[in-house]
Amino acid sequence: MDDPIRLLLILIPALPLAAAVLIGLLGPRVLRQQSHWLAIAAVLASFLCSLLLMRELSFLQRAAGAGGEVALGIGYEEVRRLWTWTDVADAYQQPRTPPGESRESLVGGGSRDFRIDIVLRADSLTCMMLVMVTLIATLVAIYSAGYMHGDPGYWRFFAYFGLFVFSMTMLVSVSNFVLLYVFWEAVGLCSYLLIGFWYQKPAAAAAGKKAFLVNRVGDFGFALGVFLIWTTYGTLNFHDSLRGGELEPARIQQAVAAERAGEVVPAEQEPVAGVFGPLRLADNELRPAGQPRTSAMISLAICLLLLLGACGKSAQFPLHVWLPDAMEGPTPVSALIHAATMVTAGIYMIARCTPLFLVSPDAQLVVSVVGGFTALLAALIALTQYDLKRVLAYSTVSQLGYMFLALGVGSLAGVTAGMFHLFTHAFFKALLFLGAGSVMHAMGNVIDMRRFGGLRRVMPVTYITFAVGCLALAGVFPLAGFWSKDAVLGAVHDKVHELEPHDSDSHGPAPHGPAPHGPAPHDSSPHGSAEGGGTQAVERPESSADDDVTPVFGLSNLLRGQIFHWLYLLGLMTSFLTAFYTFRAFYLTFHGPELIPPEAGRHAHESPASMTVPLGILAVCSALVGLLLDRSYLDGTNSFANWLLWTPSLGFPAAMRTTLPGEFHLSVAGWSTLMALGGIGLSSYLYLGSRHEIHGIRQFFDLAWVSGWSDVESFARMRQWRVARWVRECSAAVGLEWLLRLVVGALLLVVLVLSAPLLLLYYVSPYKLSYHRFYLDELYELVLVRPLRGLARLCYGIDRWLIDGTVNFVGRVPRQIGDVMRSLQMGLVPFYALAMVLGLLILLAVQLLG
Amino acid sequence: MNELALLQNYLLVGGLLFAIGLAGFLVRRNMIVMFLSAEIMLQGISVSLVAWGRYHNDWGGQMLVVFIIAVAACEAAIALALVLMLAKQTGRLDIVLWQDLREEGQPAYVDREVPEEREEDQVWPTLTPAGIEPEVDPEEELHRSRV
Repeated sequence: MDDPIRLLLILIPALPLAAAVLIGLLGPRVLRQQSHWLAIAAVLASFLCSLLLMRELSFLQRAAGAGGEVALGIGYEEVRRLWTWTDVADAYQQPRTPPGESRESLVGGGSRDFRIDIVLRADSLTCMMLVMVTLIATLVAIYSAGYMHGDPGYWRFFAYFGLFVFSMTMLVSVSNFVLLYVFWEAVGLCSYLLIGFWYQKPAAAAAGKKAFLVNRVGDFGFALGVFLIWTTYGTLNFHDSLRGGELEPARIQQAVAAERAGEVVPAEQEPVAGVFGPLRLADNELRPAGQPRTSAMISLAICLLLLLGACGKSAQFPLHVWLPDAMEGPTPVSALIHAATMVTAGIYMIARCTPLFLVSPDAQLVVSVVGGFTALLAALIALTQYDLKRVLAYSTVSQLGYMFLALGVGSLAGVTAGMFHLFTHAFFKALLFLGAGSVMHAMGNVIDMRRFGGLRRVMPVTYITFAVGCLALAGVFPLAGFWSKDAVLGAVHDKVHELEPHDSDSHGPAPHGPAPHGPAPHDSSPHGSAEGGGTQAVERPESSADDDVTPVFGLSNLLRGQIFHWLYLLGLMTSFLTAFYTFRAFYLTFHGPELIPPEAGRHAHESPASMTVPLGILAVCSALVGLLLDRSYLDGTNSFANWLLWTPSLGFPAAMRTTLPGEFHLSVAGWSTLMALGGIGLSSYLYLGSRHEIHGIRQFFDLAWVSGWSDVESFARMRQWRVARWVRECSAAVGLEWLLRLVVGALLLVVLVLSAPLLLLYYVSPYKLSYHRFYLDELYELVLVRPLRGLARLCYGIDRWLIDGTVNFVGRVPRQIGDVMRSLQMGLVPFYALAMVLGLLILLAVQLLG
Repeated sequence: MNELALLQNYLLVGGLLFAIGLAGFLVRRNMIVMFLSAEIMLQGISVSLVAWGRYHNDWGGQMLVVFIIAVAACEAAIALALVLMLAKQTGRLDIVLWQDLREEGQPAYVDREVPEEREEDQVWPTLTPAGIEPEVDPEEELHRSRV
């Protein structure tokens, strides 16, 4: 084919799919324990194709951008149409708007088609995701060949694996919301299949079901968001096209020019502006039409619905509960799907939808708050878990929270920081998971950290690579995590500064603030002006990207600045906790006295080369990726961010007016390093050498001393004190024993009343909260699962007894009547004759008498 | 005799024939007799048909009766053949033997024989003999066994 981009775009997903189909067909009989070769080859080829695609794209970008400058403003994309899935012409008739508005003309003269083409796109964001997904998938496939060796479902594993890589590569390369949704569901399905891979294990089957169901909640929101996007923007495509499906940019430009000139063009030639297409982005026409307040409400609704979907897939706060349970699946799956790739689909989606989020600052705030809160919550839970993989799972949730925090900042610095963190996190989290898998492999599938320890001599390669991963996760200076975490915190820090009321600004434009921007004159409805009137002067957006955006929540900039400030502190706090729990797990596993569980048998050994080589490669990547890509500390360039800015939905004019990436914050870096080192230091102090302090600390946080206060036995012991005895003897001598009894009884009552809340506190002590995951699972069980199960039972009962009962009753009535009549059928001819005669007589009697 | 009285008499005869046939059909169990009873009912109808025809001065009634007789002959042939076959199966002509079309689970009808009286049941009231036992004529004993 003469179009290399088209060929590569097709090959990247097609190879894993072909591998999956072939393994599925041939696996059980032919390939068996050799199934991995096909999968590894396909995914590796896919990775090489991704690299080639990246190279092709960078050539094209350089050619388009005149010397590699990013200042072009609308990014660069290559879109290829494979075939048309569905095409319903004029699916929605819109009332024709006055000719003055150009927006409506872009969706095709008042009517819009429901046209879904299978369209693949190549832009920077897609390329970056493709490279990351296929690279991690290749390494994990090699690793799995060792890890899954001898499993009865060997071929099944690799078939699912190929299917997952296909779905994920399609997810990041499609150019349409419906297709995004389709593959969003497809990765969910693969995740379900792989979590429940050992389906004989009840816990695994339940975990798969839980993941699937929790994701449904998010997907419901995502689907509603997609519907709303279609009714708002008239198309679901990311890219611009003509109504006939033509994608050639020159033809589109021609058609737009023709329409602007007022020429009558055939319907096939009318331009359709995609949601993130250059036509819309160049003029920042993403605000929905209508009154400012309505428009803001609609964009907020779209963003929040998309966020709900992202929360489900990326395991953010209300919907994060499935991810830790997903650790029941095979460890390579945890590494690939539940740490490195699939859970980043939500991040990818929000990054892709940056233009939508930019017009709704309220939604950005929600994204950040959800992310920051999740980061802290998950980090707190991870502190006390004993399951090595669960610690890593909560750490994943926490790091994903970081990414959301960055995405919600709403500046390009934030979005690229989030994506950068996603990129580096994929490496070190995959490394950590694979390391944990290696430990599990050697320990005979024991994962409880209390049951093994001191493995650094038994498994030296795993030890070293795991250490690199831990340092990267903790964010220690030269490793990958440091750069991306610093970028995230730096972006939040910038946002705080941006929202702070600067002295010059607050004195300067405030008096004549509302006039030039003028949301008030437009806002003619009394309702809107009444609500917005009080805060109008304060909430005038500082940054030019927020121009004319009507906030829905009505939070002042001051308040938003404070919220972001708290989120920044939360981020620093989380980085301390991250360092602590990471190294807690590390020390518990690899340091201390050597302890090997009996399940490991006598052959606790280092894993085979097929497992250690991917570990080594990932370790090198985790160590170097940040240093190589982020050079903001030298010359203020972050080549990763610069590459990403070529994405149309990131590098468009309105976004380019926000804070750009590339600034290195020495103070932020200093603080975060300090926090990380503090966390590492604390855990080293507690877990290296003798570990007796940790018991005391756990007792303290478990509020064990509270139970001592309100203990009955301690009161009994108090009776034996010398003072108590003396008082008793004295009162006996004076003859006032009854008074003593009364006083002591009253005292006891007071103490009991006081200690009741303390006792309650004892049962929800910080340690217990963390150990029991803040009782969220129990809460969901109580609030959602039980009532829903009750409702299901009720429905079942109604179906079973009321509806089925009625139907069965209707069926049973003729039967019963028939049973009565049966006894008349005795087969005697004289009886029948008599019955006939009697019947005749009755008829005659009726005839004669009636 | 006027026309109406004539009709009345014929209808009476027809009705009687029909009633006798019906009674015979309901009461008897012999297949041939039942068939004969049915024929008698038919003849009763025929008689009344002829009577009505005569009364209305319409030959239709008599025509119909001729047809009935012809059809009855055919029917008799078939019915007697059937009876013959059924009788060959069991060797008896009792209709009650053919009750296989009764509902499943219904008890079969079985003729209950009137039980024979046993000797010990034949207890007669006796009077305490008082006075001189009368001479009983032995000849009288023969035909007055039970007094």
